[in-house]
Amino acid sequence: MLFPSCRPTSLARQFRRAFHDQRWPGWQVIIGIETHAQIKSRQKLFSDSLTSSLGEAPNIHVSPFDAAFPGTLPKLNQDCVDLALRTAIALNSDIQTRSSFDRKHYFYSDLPSGYQITQHYAPIALGGRLHIPSRESPIRIKQIQLEQDTAKSTFDPRTRTSNIDLNRAGTGLLEIVTEPDLRSPEEAGAYVRTLQAVLRAIVILPLTQIQGSLRCDVNVSINPVGQPPGTRCEIKNLNSIKFMQTAIIFEINRQRDLLSVEDAVVPQETRGFNQDTLETFKMRSKEEAPDYRYMPDPNLGVLFIAPERINSITQTMPELPWVTRIRLVQEYQLSEQDADILLNLDNGREDGGSALAYFDHLCEQGRKPRVVFNWMVHELLGRLHAARLTFADNPLSTSQLGELIDLVQSGAITGTSGKLLLREMLAESSPQTPTERARSLSLLIASTGELDIGELCAAAIAALPSEAEAFRNGHKNVLNKILGWVMKESRGRTDSKQVRERLISLLEKNGRE
Amino acid sequence: MRVNVTRNLPRRWTRQISSWRHAIREKDSSVNAFVSISQPQKSSPEHFPLHNVAIAVKDMICTSDMPTTSSSAMLRDFTSPFDATVVSLLREAGADIVGKLNCDEFGMGSLNIHSVHGPVVNPFQSASSSVPWAEREKRSAGGSSGGSAASVAAGMCFAALSTDTGGSTRLPASYCGVVGLKPSYGLISRWGVISFADSLDCVGVMAEDVSATKRVFDILNTYDAKDPTSASPDARQLALKAAAEAWPSSALNDLRIGIPQEYFPLELSDEVLTPVRAAIEGLKARGATIVPVSLPSTPYALSAYYVISSAEASSNMARYDGVQYGLHVPLPPGTGLTNTATMYARTRSVGFGPEVQKRILLGTYALTADAFDNYFLQAQRIRRLIREDFNRVFRVPDVMSSSKTASSDGVDVLIHPSAIRTAPPLDAVDTDGLETYVQDVLTVPASLAGLPALSVPLKTNAHEWPVGVSVVGQWGCDDTVLQVGHFLESINK
Repeated sequence: MLFPSCRPTSLARQFRRAFHDQRWPGWQVIIGIETHAQIKSRQKLFSDSLTSSLGEAPNIHVSPFDAAFPGTLPKLNQDCVDLALRTAIALNSDIQTRSSFDRKHYFYSDLPSGYQITQHYAPIALGGRLHIPSRESPIRIKQIQLEQDTAKSTFDPRTRTSNIDLNRAGTGLLEIVTEPDLRSPEEAGAYVRTLQAVLRAIVILPLTQIQGSLRCDVNVSINPVGQPPGTRCEIKNLNSIKFMQTAIIFEINRQRDLLSVEDAVVPQETRGFNQDTLETFKMRSKEEAPDYRYMPDPNLGVLFIAPERINSITQTMPELPWVTRIRLVQEYQLSEQDADILLNLDNGREDGGSALAYFDHLCEQGRKPRVVFNWMVHELLGRLHAARLTFADNPLSTSQLGELIDLVQSGAITGTSGKLLLREMLAESSPQTPTERARSLSLLIASTGELDIGELCAAAIAALPSEAEAFRNGHKNVLNKILGWVMKESRGRTDSKQVRERLISLLEKNGRE
Repeated sequence: MRVNVTRNLPRRWTRQISSWRHAIREKDSSVNAFVSISQPQKSSPEHFPLHNVAIAVKDMICTSDMPTTSSSAMLRDFTSPFDATVVSLLREAGADIVGKLNCDEFGMGSLNIHSVHGPVVNPFQSASSSVPWAEREKRSAGGSSGGSAASVAAGMCFAALSTDTGGSTRLPASYCGVVGLKPSYGLISRWGVISFADSLDCVGVMAEDVSATKRVFDILNTYDAKDPTSASPDARQLALKAAAEAWPSSALNDLRIGIPQEYFPLELSDEVLTPVRAAIEGLKARGATIVPVSLPSTPYALSAYYVISSAEASSNMARYDGVQYGLHVPLPPGTGLTNTATMYARTRSVGFGPEVQKRILLGTYALTADAFDNYFLQAQRIRRLIREDFNRVFRVPDVMSSSKTASSDGVDVLIHPSAIRTAPPLDAVDTDGLETYVQDVLTVPASLAGLPALSVPLKTNAHEWPVGVSVVGQWGCDDTVLQVGHFLESINK
């Protein structure tokens, strides 16, 4: 069902929801969102300069093309196209065999060429949908388009000068536009959060920052329930979900106040959001709206997408969040709540791994998912949070945490010792393995004194090669002789049961090699 | 040889670089073709294809060792951080890039009078004239690549690079009496060529004769990944194959020449018509088949051209805002700093000349939301019709089009006058009237269709100003066009 509002039940639900929203009884709110997501590609959309991350020195990733030097020409970065295709596939959007690029003209100091290259007339994908929590019908996507980001200009009030940083100029952006399907600030928030999770899962968004990598323009209109939609106002450039929801609520109330007067109308306008006062303000009216003089870019021509290319991208798609969630609950038997905790953990490891990949990797080695979850989320993440760090700052590799978990699970150290060991490992990095570290901290249960059962057993096997050979050939009684050697060497300080087990495992392991 | 100033010079293949540079010093003060002259370079090794060859470059083509001004106050002090691909190719082939050449501002104009460096003076002087050369009759060299044509005509370089958006190579070639080639769109890289209208812009080659033109063209005719509109190696191969199949013998008596009736307008002067007719008769006498053809969309070409080229120009000129590079005119003290538009307006009003401003305004209007459908889209439709017109008359199929509708009884090339008249006197040119635009009727259709077009000087009486004839071929048939150029030259002799 493409148009949920056509369904009587859904319509009824909407009425109910609208009526029951005590904040604005009798009013229906209609919201549409344009999201600009920065594409995580190595190079910019039309030049080979590298993309940059926050906090880098200004103007270090700039090519003559980025600065709009005369004589330069764009060259489409196919990696950005691939990432756009991934997004289209994830959002069930219809990839267009032929799309093209257009120039959107306006003068601004952060736009060196005087135009932004975007896809106005023929976007790369049309249609699509995204399911969000707490709502049955999906949010319909109108289109997905590729475009350039602008430079960054900042005003220094002290010197009264504007500074321009071209690092960001020409970075690839995806503009994802919804139909006006959202009905409350909370749904708008849920939509952006879900979209963010999708984009992160398919590795579109830069790893670390949310700030600046996802910006929203939000269209809001209100109308008395049962009547046609009202006039919309667009709120520009909202860069956090919190601000977006605050802005929508402010806007609903503002429009409601305007409409409280009989025969009054909401003037169509573009508005900004003041992050200090938490209010929206008028930027320009419909009449003042700039004419962007869209023109097909004469250099870039038609972008053809062959079906084979779509197929190969479909086949290499990373797992989408809703699929992951099902897997976590069904395969790993995590609760839905725990699954969501894992899904919401920030990415941030440079090796391309994520919290989820970290978890998967730990579980792959036969550990119990429940146990892994406890150690990873409650212990490790708890410690990180206590130190005001995020999972992105986690210094432990999966093999380190895995070995720690194994030490506790095998009974080599107690759970309390395990937590102490974790604290030590987080406090200070060391080339020692967790086992070695546990030993030097005297946490190993077996480690009475300086003895190492493994070493002793290995020494015994080396000292008694014919006995070892006999054992491997089926003379199990010979084991007692080797065991005796160990007991004698350790002067009785070892647990004979443990030594026996270790000897058997070593002998069997050696035998296989 | 009608350009008598070159008459006493040694033959070009024996000339040393120093003799070209000597000619520049001696003559350019009364031609005004050069706007920059490079430092003399170490001579390239003898086996290099362009060893001992002096080439000058239109000032819209970027060079890292000399300013690239586009003849605009906006870029008067601008030096590009890189060499255009064409410049790199010439340097790699051993050519000496001797200097940069005057042109109309950003390539907009057909008389080379809209230049911050002043007008270019046509170097032609009739052989019988007794007036000292420096005091000869001052006529336009044509535009926009007037400096390119004049530098070759005055013997100041072996060849010159030009650009051609709607005739900027062919018209000055015709006025100055040199050969000018506008190759098929996409064959020569535009990386480093300052854009006027990207979908029409081509780098052109000008030289004294067809073989010199071809020698330079062959160096430049190669795929460049830096130019997204560069024709792919596959497309080039296809076109070569199609051309060879259509005219395998390369002989005059197998050649079918179309004479498009729309290219002989009433405005065509007799001084042009007579030698053009003689040339066509000459080709016919040597065995070529002459076929009258019609390209019915031609009358619409001019308006389509001005809409498209001005629209693209208005977009391309937007970058000259005085922020990143180029001219910046500070606001007078006391001006409010709140409105940035004031800053752009001031710099752009001072930096752009009247012709460029006119075209920016035209193009800006054509792209406004209300006008877009009626102007820009309509012009694109006409552009397609023009292309279809050509495809209908050529024997060679259009390899760039999906519908390869070539007619076996079609023609190999079209021949028509390059200009409606000879070079106009500089002091009597009509700068605002429509006359300067009527001229473009003969040259813009090939630009809109992206076809190769070559202007070759014709034999005229010694006291007459030069007249050029144009040879136009199917896309990618540049060699065919050059071959026909050779035939025309042989008739001249």
